[in-house]
Amino acid sequence: MRSVVILSVVFVLISILGPFLAPYDPAAINIPARLSPPSAEFPLGTDALGRDTLSRLLHGAQWSLGLAFVVSVIGLVVGTLIGLAAALGGKIADWVVMRTTDTFLAFPELVAAVVIAGLMGAGTWSLIFALSVTSWMRYARVARGIGLSLQSRGYVVQAQLAGLSTASVARWHYLPSLLPSLTVVWTGMFARAILGISALGFLGFGVQPPTPEWGAMLLDARVHLRSTPLQMIWPGLAVVVCVLAINLVGDALRDALSGAGETHD
Amino acid sequence: MISGLAALILRAIVVLSGTAVITFALLWNAPGDPAQAIAMARFDALLTDEVIDQVREEAGLNQGFWTAFVAWLTPLLSLDFGHSAVTGREVLPDLLSAISFTFPLAFAGLAVGLVISIPLAIIAAKHPGGVIDRMAVAVASLGTAIPAYWLALILILVFTVQLAWLPAMGARTPAHAILPAMTLGFGVAASLTRIIRSGILEARGQPFLPALKRRGVPDKAIGKDHVAPHAAVPVVTVFGLELAFLLEGVVLVEVIFGRPGLGPFLVSAITSRDFPQVQAVVVLTALIFVTVNLAIDVIYRMIDPRIGSSDA
Repeated sequence: MRSVVILSVVFVLISILGPFLAPYDPAAINIPARLSPPSAEFPLGTDALGRDTLSRLLHGAQWSLGLAFVVSVIGLVVGTLIGLAAALGGKIADWVVMRTTDTFLAFPELVAAVVIAGLMGAGTWSLIFALSVTSWMRYARVARGIGLSLQSRGYVVQAQLAGLSTASVARWHYLPSLLPSLTVVWTGMFARAILGISALGFLGFGVQPPTPEWGAMLLDARVHLRSTPLQMIWPGLAVVVCVLAINLVGDALRDALSGAGETHD
Repeated sequence: MISGLAALILRAIVVLSGTAVITFALLWNAPGDPAQAIAMARFDALLTDEVIDQVREEAGLNQGFWTAFVAWLTPLLSLDFGHSAVTGREVLPDLLSAISFTFPLAFAGLAVGLVISIPLAIIAAKHPGGVIDRMAVAVASLGTAIPAYWLALILILVFTVQLAWLPAMGARTPAHAILPAMTLGFGVAASLTRIIRSGILEARGQPFLPALKRRGVPDKAIGKDHVAPHAAVPVVTVFGLELAFLLEGVVLVEVIFGRPGLGPFLVSAITSRDFPQVQAVVVLTALIFVTVNLAIDVIYRMIDPRIGSSDA
């Protein structure tokens, strides 16, 4: 558990401090040094425009990790509210909400995100919108499932009989019970968001150049696969390490909260 | 059972209608003129303003969202996807020909995934917590963290650039399918290994197994009547989960390996803002998804009598 905490702190620090740690301007073009191998001057080499890869990776963390964080938190908030509405709103509201959830789940996430981001016009806002719209459903299902199981609990019934408003019941009696499971779901969705953002970037529908997002960097590097394969190794490695670390945090949380986040849908 | 089945089918119809509304809402709100998009879908290129205005009238676009929605949906119900806004060709034949490349690749990926994951999971589950088990779980965790597009590039780097064993780009020979299928299959295997492994461990821990044994029920009967139905439930679940993974993965993999198929079809349709093609892909994937999930729900009820009494 401790190593997992340290790992997460390191990643948070890198994504916040990345721009300050970067040795060069990530957009500084240096044609004479294009596609150079790793050296003392450029620790991870340079890309096709001679931009320092290490600096681009460090700046890119803000986009790849930061946007994934934003997207997963939007999904968490929206999904939880929707799930609570289903659990507390009575049978008809529940049916409507759950069929809506099923409907959104009927599109493969990435395909839907590509279509939405692509049709809205590639850019950061489209990306956030596309990935949020396609990621709230899991939270809604978990929140609704646990919410329904709380309905008949003594303290919930008592609070309702005491005349507490539905919103207060949701805030003080439902939310605390939901948080552990939702946190576990959130780690999984955070990891998925990182993969989604870089996948969209790689397809050209995500964050637009010259912003050094990791997926977009992979797209740039792909052309030079034969001459400088290392350029395509780094951004992919960054994605893998981050996703793996977040999944480890999720596993550790799941174990610590034992049983949270399982089979509630 | 029958009423449960009817409820499932009703739900599938509701969900499908919902997907149609969402798809149309997306086109309705997309930047650009929906009348122009529909006009291009219905007729060949070369549009005058009169034609577009006529379409706006006919498609009910000046009468609000729902009228326009009904006008949009009606041809789709008879699988009339219209014409491409770019090439003017009919959408459906092109879409079907793209799918004829995509489905075999998806199945090949699934097959590779099963061939790797089933033996690995069985070996791993033999001694839970042992060295092999921990290694298998670690590799599987790593596998789920590797994005398909990066794995594809690494496989190309190793097998095409370095070793020159396998072709990478295009779909001319069956050998061209090996690397794409491996890319998909490794991803499938990573998630399947964990699921199958915990399925085996769970099945083995069931308290009714020793009870049956002591009552003198023959091993064969235990396997057939008690273990197999238990093991079948997670297998069905897995197919539902893997379908999403395969559909998403195959889109990326086809683009990377330059194979004709649903992926490049969708990407080029979006890039050229070819609404008829985009909507055809979206409607079709939703249709596949809902149908498969309906089938899965029905199979669940057949193999597990506990499901169905409580509605999820």
